Amino acid sequence: MLKSLLLTVTTLAIALGGGAGSVWLALDRDFEFGTIAIGNWKAFSTRGTAGADPYSKARFSREADLALGSAEGLTFIARDDNTGEMLRLHCAYRIEGPLPPARFWTLHARDSAGKVIVPAGTRAPALHSYALLREGDNTVTTTVSRHAAPGNWLAVRGDGAFSLVLTFYDTAMASGARITEIDLPHVTRLGCDA
Amino acid sequence: MHRLLHAILLGLVGAGIVHIVVLLMVPAYSQRDAWSALSEVSNFHTITRLDPPGAAPLLGSIDPLFNAVGCRFDLSEGVVRLNGGGKVPYWSLSVYDRAGQNVFSVNDNSTPNPNLDFVVATPVQMIELRNALPPEFDGSVFIEADIDEGIVVVRAFSPDDTWEDTIATYLAGLACTLHQ
Repeated sequence: MLKSLLLTVTTLAIALGGGAGSVWLALDRDFEFGTIAIGNWKAFSTRGTAGADPYSKARFSREADLALGSAEGLTFIARDDNTGEMLRLHCAYRIEGPLPPARFWTLHARDSAGKVIVPAGTRAPALHSYALLREGDNTVTTTVSRHAAPGNWLAVRGDGAFSLVLTFYDTAMASGARITEIDLPHVTRLGCDA
Repeated sequence: MHRLLHAILLGLVGAGIVHIVVLLMVPAYSQRDAWSALSEVSNFHTITRLDPPGAAPLLGSIDPLFNAVGCRFDLSEGVVRLNGGGKVPYWSLSVYDRAGQNVFSVNDNSTPNPNLDFVVATPVQMIELRNALPPEFDGSVFIEADIDEGIVVVRAFSPDDTWEDTIATYLAGLACTLHQ
């Protein structure tokens, strides 16, 4: 009698504990089906739509977020530089390379908790393509650093890991099927503070 | 020993079932989604700033160069009209269902006139509207959405701080009204 009770409790403990625990573990990670990876940039194109997978839907429902619609824009997030190293706030980075067609785009940085990094002083926390210095061949080079840099400078502050968020507005790529063929700028580490 | 193995195996199968059930139930029972965040600060059919100045934004992923407003609605009470006037560099609009899933989106390039004037209606309400179009909806763009409760969000681009007042006034001037 006691033995079968013990076995029942064991079964239930494994079922409930294992089931709930595995959901909790799965939702804590950033993995998602339908992720588009271009270089170091990732876009979650189905997140926040009816086409998202159940894991994405469950995670999304705990985030108090509303995703951009396909007619609005498409967001790419980079957490690593082009050597695969994590982006760190005490380092400086150069963002340079091809940009896909869009009406305009914006670039900002978020800390490891997902909050927008607002720089000290009156500098804006983001850059946008209407107000940038361009090279002779119309390309854009941007420096992300805690220290002032010539040219286009995205100012950040603080310490620790961060992510770069590049959003293209009113772009045909958001609804296009051939999205993996586009090129995005490279993120290169320039150097770090000691 | 044999019975313990049986119990563990049964437990693992049960864990799989519990995993799936919990996963599918999370969205329905979540208290941390956008709908809950918005319903804490405003009622239905009220234009609410989603990134109030000087406070934490209601939504996680709002672009710092954008201002956004949202309005919760319930189509079972009647159709919802969102309209406003003025000119801003860029605006876009999205309709979300109760779970925060994007069901429709549009930007200022895809509307015939610069004024924002949308009516959200269910397919059944659309049939009624087509039969007898109210005169005030003459210039409206109709969005057919097969949902009851939902959120409509307008985002407007604010290129720099000097635009802040213009954009904030524009968004605050939008009207989100129920038409029964």
